[in-house]
Amino acid sequence: MASLQGASSLFHGSLVEAVFGSPALALKIGFVSLFPSRLDAGCASLGLSVDNGERSSSLAPIRAVNETRTAYINGKADGVQGENLDQISTVGNSTNIKWHQCSVGKLERQELLQQKGCVIWITGLSGSGKSTVACALSRALHARGKLTYVLDGDNVRHGLNCDLSFKAEDRAENIRRIGEVAKLFSDAGVICIASLISPYRKDRADCRALLPEGDFIEVFMDVPLKICEGRDPKGLYKLARSGKIKGFTGVDDPYEPPLKCEMVLKQTEDDCTTTPYDMAEQVVSYLEEKGYLHA
Amino acid sequence: MSAIGNGTNIFWHECPVGKSERQKLLDQKGCVVWITGLSGSGKSTLACSLSRELHAKGKLSYVLDGDNLRHGLNKDLGFKFEDRTENIRRVGEVAKLFADAGLICIASLISPYRKDRDACRAMLPDLSFIEVYMNMPLELCEERDAKGLYKLARAKKIKGFTGIDDPYEPPLNCEIELSLQDGVCPPPGTMSGRVVTYLEEKGFLEDK
Repeated sequence: MASLQGASSLFHGSLVEAVFGSPALALKIGFVSLFPSRLDAGCASLGLSVDNGERSSSLAPIRAVNETRTAYINGKADGVQGENLDQISTVGNSTNIKWHQCSVGKLERQELLQQKGCVIWITGLSGSGKSTVACALSRALHARGKLTYVLDGDNVRHGLNCDLSFKAEDRAENIRRIGEVAKLFSDAGVICIASLISPYRKDRADCRALLPEGDFIEVFMDVPLKICEGRDPKGLYKLARSGKIKGFTGVDDPYEPPLKCEMVLKQTEDDCTTTPYDMAEQVVSYLEEKGYLHA
Repeated sequence: MSAIGNGTNIFWHECPVGKSERQKLLDQKGCVVWITGLSGSGKSTLACSLSRELHAKGKLSYVLDGDNLRHGLNKDLGFKFEDRTENIRRVGEVAKLFADAGLICIASLISPYRKDRDACRAMLPDLSFIEVYMNMPLELCEERDAKGLYKLARAKKIKGFTGIDDPYEPPLNCEIELSLQDGVCPPPGTMSGRVVTYLEEKGFLEDK
């Protein structure tokens, strides 16, 4: 429903819906034969318009997909000017019908980028290597000419989520907002890598539910607490053990591992050979197999 | 990771991919085009036309529409004063992330208060926040009444509606102002053409 941006409330219950069956279909077609009504202004606000000249009273939906594509392809080749986006044509008794295309949709962005947008959600204990893998993964994909963006739990808490604390309801809100932003990035065609502890199954499931089937790729950093604590990259386990921070995941707050996720990146005490690069390549292979690395 | 001495796992990671690398990949510079104006002034229409025109030039853009976001990220917010401020703040932060990702992020919201828009401007690097003011008269917007909201506001069925019983504070110093030409609203393509020309002149449509 990416192409609808802002449209649904406008078209709901409207004549467009009656004609086309759904606002989404109307917008995909990109053209509506209009008639004097409030709909005109509504459509104008979404890039569909009627000419102010003759209007037909006929209600004939016009399938303009081919014209849309032609104009788009030409536009891409010729560097089309704004005015040329409006084409005037005659259909049946309706003269001077003017139409222009909808906002660019997800499919078109993916075509431009030669990839499919998705969310790679890396979850695990503090110190399990989430940021490291996120970093290596963005590098590996960039080397293949793919556009990625890393949403790091810590980074986002300095900007979008700077108003949130670490109490339970704020943690849930932190995850919710990141899920929503990741969804926007995925819709934009970006491979969005979210890297955050996200300890509760329900919160991760809620984020999964925001996205189309398959586009939420959960990666579990399965690393024993002992190894994570041994690393303690931010010194937080030490603080937690000494009681200086409360409710720290793994120490006095639970981590609920995924029961069923797309990938598990496992490390044990005996295994010191798997590098972040190797792990990133596993994720890249998955994306390749599932078709995310081409349009 | 490497093992040193007693087998401790020393952590190493190189820097993540940065903004300049993404911009090189996309051959454009990330920025935020912030379209502000009354309800019905044509913000979404302009956003749509602009994204089309940029796409035709092979540039990646994304529209953050105020209404759309209120169904997702900002669904917990209403229209009282502090919620409006928070709505704008969050959109500003998200737009900042998109610009950092290298995209031309087109934000289309009434965003009636100067203070809130200025706060978003301050979030971004210099010159990357391009404020576009849809300076259309209230009469025209109300005549269009794209969503039937002016009618509801006049009938007092909704309160605090911008332009009726809540103020719109026009920008004092915006990058682009779009207004009537000889009493007529220019076509969307003409208006988006002006924005594209601005972006081109300022170097956003290439990575140099």
